[in-house]
Amino acid sequence: MIIECKNLTKSYAVENTMVHAADTVNLSVNKGDFLVILGHSGSGKTTLLSLIGGLTSPDKGQVFIDGVENWQQSDRALSTMRNSKIGFIFQFASLIPTLSIMENILLPLSFGENPAGSRDLALDILDQVGLADKGKAFPSQLSGGQQRRVAIARSFINCPDIILADEPTGDLDEETERDILALFRRYNEQGTTFVVVTHNSDLAATQKDARVFSMRQGVLSGQAA
Amino acid sequence: MAPRNLEKQLNILDYALSSLWRRRMKSLSVLLVFAAVIFLLASFQMVTQALTDKASQVLAYTPEITLQKMSAGRQEAIPLAYRDRLAGIFGIRRVVPRIWGYYFDEVRLANYTVMGMDVREMPEGDRLDTALAKGTIPGPEEQGRVVVGQSIVKALNLDERNTFSLFRPDLSLKTFTVSGAFSRDTDIMTNDLIVMSLADARDLYEIPAGLVTDLCVYVANPKEIGTIARKISAILPGVRVLTRPQIQKTYQVVFGWRSGFGSICLLAALASFVILAWDKASGLSPEERREISILKVLGWETSDILAVRFWESVIVSGLACIVGMTAAYIHVVYFAAFLFRPVLMGWSVLRPDLHLVPRMAVGNILLILAFTVVPYLAATVIPAWRSATVPADSALGG
Repeated sequence: MIIECKNLTKSYAVENTMVHAADTVNLSVNKGDFLVILGHSGSGKTTLLSLIGGLTSPDKGQVFIDGVENWQQSDRALSTMRNSKIGFIFQFASLIPTLSIMENILLPLSFGENPAGSRDLALDILDQVGLADKGKAFPSQLSGGQQRRVAIARSFINCPDIILADEPTGDLDEETERDILALFRRYNEQGTTFVVVTHNSDLAATQKDARVFSMRQGVLSGQAA
Repeated sequence: MAPRNLEKQLNILDYALSSLWRRRMKSLSVLLVFAAVIFLLASFQMVTQALTDKASQVLAYTPEITLQKMSAGRQEAIPLAYRDRLAGIFGIRRVVPRIWGYYFDEVRLANYTVMGMDVREMPEGDRLDTALAKGTIPGPEEQGRVVVGQSIVKALNLDERNTFSLFRPDLSLKTFTVSGAFSRDTDIMTNDLIVMSLADARDLYEIPAGLVTDLCVYVANPKEIGTIARKISAILPGVRVLTRPQIQKTYQVVFGWRSGFGSICLLAALASFVILAWDKASGLSPEERREISILKVLGWETSDILAVRFWESVIVSGLACIVGMTAAYIHVVYFAAFLFRPVLMGWSVLRPDLHLVPRMAVGNILLILAFTVVPYLAATVIPAWRSATVPADSALGG
């Protein structure tokens, strides 16, 4: 089991009202699974990704990645885990505007793992997302959809075991969306685990053997683990 | 393990450099302001130290004890006969009479210092020739011959002629011939000085025979200065006894006070800079906060983000220190600290054309670093630490 969530609970105070972003969520994900979590805005999908990725700590419950509980680790170990095992695709492109596209993609590799060799890999991934000629450009020179594709390329640069994707095809045109989902499928067939949260119910249909869940007011329901 | 860690640090340093380059206008402006503050502080430190050193060097040749007669709290002429009353004090090597006065040149609106003394009577008198840029010290028999400081040479055009005249109190003129000029190395003491024989000074100021302005006492053992000074005070109660250490201390206090005054002004400027730096650095823009969040999401540790900020600050402050201190050195050595001379040298019309040799003690450098680099590091790293320790999920949700 590569991801395991046990009784995961997270609440936020919004204007003196407690909002349950995750309400006793239990989830088990095996290596190579493709999970699609459907839900409307504010249903807690993004919070669930943050909890799984160790970006925010739960009020209650536990998250295990490869058997290791996220919040029992030091900041260093948690960072190393995020860096080596997880690729994030944000709801918004989240590129650093003053870095070139190539520099943005190489950013997760700033830890001495042969960045020189990784440049070829970055070029290859850029080619796979259809932006081979944009390496030297800056985010402001790209459209929203192109920036999203760069963020997707960046999430693959470390060859992570898990991809956590938040509305990955949100602002892509149909053709690009198809290409990106095909890319996801290829990586998934090679063993990469995907947890995709989206409000697009059609997305699940494009992935073979996808496990589909729905989320509403922090409660996860659907396929049992 | 070590090479990977080193490579990681190099990558972080590379990121810090590129980050500075990306914000080059902001980085450059901070660097320039920072360098200007360090330049001012370092210049002040260097020039104060150089002046104090120079004063100490020159004062080493002044009499160990100077006696002045006081009346109603003011100085008046001292009888030469007092010399005889000092004869019984063991340890006094020599007592040399001196006429020390000032001459106001109404044409040039400048004050000259006049010293009438038979310098050959001084224990080190023969060595005074080494303090001259040209000529010789006139002997007591050489009436009307003087040695002048560099500002006098300039003020009276003595490069082109070698005689000049000063007015006696009765407005009759007394003419002098220049027999030598003091070296620039002694400017701090001799810049506005005219040295002449005792008889010439007596004639110029119309001081009656048997009186001088002060008596210079030279002692055999410098360690006995204090003891001999106390004995003189006991024998001559109406006489002010000034020891060389007291005079040296007075100079140091004067420079110290002026330096302190200037330092307070500079520290105020420094405080403004630190507040500005804090404001700029602590008010992390939304883009900067977002960048920190993205880096954390991508697996950067809090310590990596702090390391980036630390290296950025070290690069900016290090460069500012190098630029500021180099500029300060050039300012002091090649431009004779022209920005601070009015404050540090006093308000005389004839200001010494000083050739200062700056000296920066390690303690002074550390002090400047403590007042500049450390606050800047704190002002940049602490806000980044505050941002880096909050959950990074803000970058996800948008």
